[in-house]
Amino acid sequence: MNADLLWRYLPSLVSGFGVTVFCWSVGGAFGLILGFAIALARRLPFPPLRWALRAFVEIFRGTPFLVQLFLLYAGGPYIGLRLGATAAGVAGLALYSSAYFAEIFRAGFGAVPAGQIEAAISVGMAPFDILARVALPAALIAAVPSIVNMLIILSKETVVLSIITVPELMYQVQTMAAETFTAFDAIFAMAAFYWLLVECVSRLGARVEKRVTAFLAHDGARG
Amino acid sequence: MIELAGVGKRFGEHVVLRGVDLSVGRSEVVCLIGPSGSGKSTLLRCVNFLESYETGNVRIAGRLIGYEDLPGGTRKPMSARRLREMRREIGMVFQHFNLWPHMTAIGNVAEPLLRVRRLPTSEAADRAMAMLSKVGLAAKAHAYPSQLSGGQQQRVAIARALAMQPQLMLFDEPTSALDPELVGEVLEVMRSLAAEGMTMLIVTHEMGFAAHVADRIAFIDGGRIIDEGSPRHVFHHSQEPRVRRFLQTYHDRNSF
Repeated sequence: MNADLLWRYLPSLVSGFGVTVFCWSVGGAFGLILGFAIALARRLPFPPLRWALRAFVEIFRGTPFLVQLFLLYAGGPYIGLRLGATAAGVAGLALYSSAYFAEIFRAGFGAVPAGQIEAAISVGMAPFDILARVALPAALIAAVPSIVNMLIILSKETVVLSIITVPELMYQVQTMAAETFTAFDAIFAMAAFYWLLVECVSRLGARVEKRVTAFLAHDGARG
Repeated sequence: MIELAGVGKRFGEHVVLRGVDLSVGRSEVVCLIGPSGSGKSTLLRCVNFLESYETGNVRIAGRLIGYEDLPGGTRKPMSARRLREMRREIGMVFQHFNLWPHMTAIGNVAEPLLRVRRLPTSEAADRAMAMLSKVGLAAKAHAYPSQLSGGQQQRVAIARALAMQPQLMLFDEPTSALDPELVGEVLEVMRSLAAEGMTMLIVTHEMGFAAHVADRIAFIDGGRIIDEGSPRHVFHHSQEPRVRRFLQTYHDRNSF
């Protein structure tokens, strides 16, 4: 382990880490929004829309992220879609994760007990109110652990962005390794940064989970 | 108040209801009893059209529910909006309470008032609180369902239905999911409702409650009512072997 070397490359590693966090958080946020919209739209009574969205989900879940990213970045210009490396990376992460998030939300809706919906129907609530006030909260709460899990997976998928020259952490680490012939130090630094990120995400996730399920606790401490 | 005439329903090949006739007058309490799988819950759920029926009529205060009559004797499914309007007047209490777990007790009771009756927040809260007091749970207004016992949850569910000021109440085995020692508090609430003159149709396995509170009892087996009458008639004078056999265990237990 060469401390001098790490110290010398620290600025570029930190900047790479910053890019990683940026791509992950923005891509993940858009992925969540898009995935949620897909899950909602798949509940609408328009079969062609449902089939199209199902195909979307299957394609993005069924192909490697690397391939999707390449097609978006290198193939995009052929259909007039010219994106910079970082923009393509963020868009790729958003599309890729939206397919998974859509499935997570769909499962969340499936986890809402039928009786809770029937109770809402029996008092004469309108479909929109049933969705917004009964189904949605229950579905979101059921989905939180899977969402956190997917966000952690996604944070590590960001390494793939280095292939299309996004200057994120992996890219910086590869640069460092190539310039200094020190594979181990560079990889060790990368692992440490990722561990830091995942640790933060899972802690945050645990807090969110605890908060949204507080009403399921039996302690009676809440009003 | 409730008029069922020739109500029939099937799930595919399986016929659940075979032409049921039953009427429940205003302020009358009618209990539906019978073996499991006899169709009594399905029949109850046809009354607010949670379950659709295919033949016959279910009328609430004279109005057909679930369908609209067309000239020429045919009918078409009722519009969703009209169905919702009718359901607002029919309270329902479920076996498994079906409270919304992310809302407090008072939140559960106030929610339909806010979303369906469109009451202002303060008025909804006042009425919800009054309903919780009525079922003896004012002190638990801000507890979540998970913090309440089964009996308390069911009383909140009754308050939620009552808050809508329905014309009639349907109870689908309201005490079947409760510990024996929690059954009493729920039956007590139902008893006082009956005394106030609420029209009630109740599917129950609580024979003692049916015997003492019901004005009339209908015994259902195999998707049809095979005997109907006063509790005294059904419990002691029924000529139907199926009814006598079903009630034998109840009589045995009471003579213990």
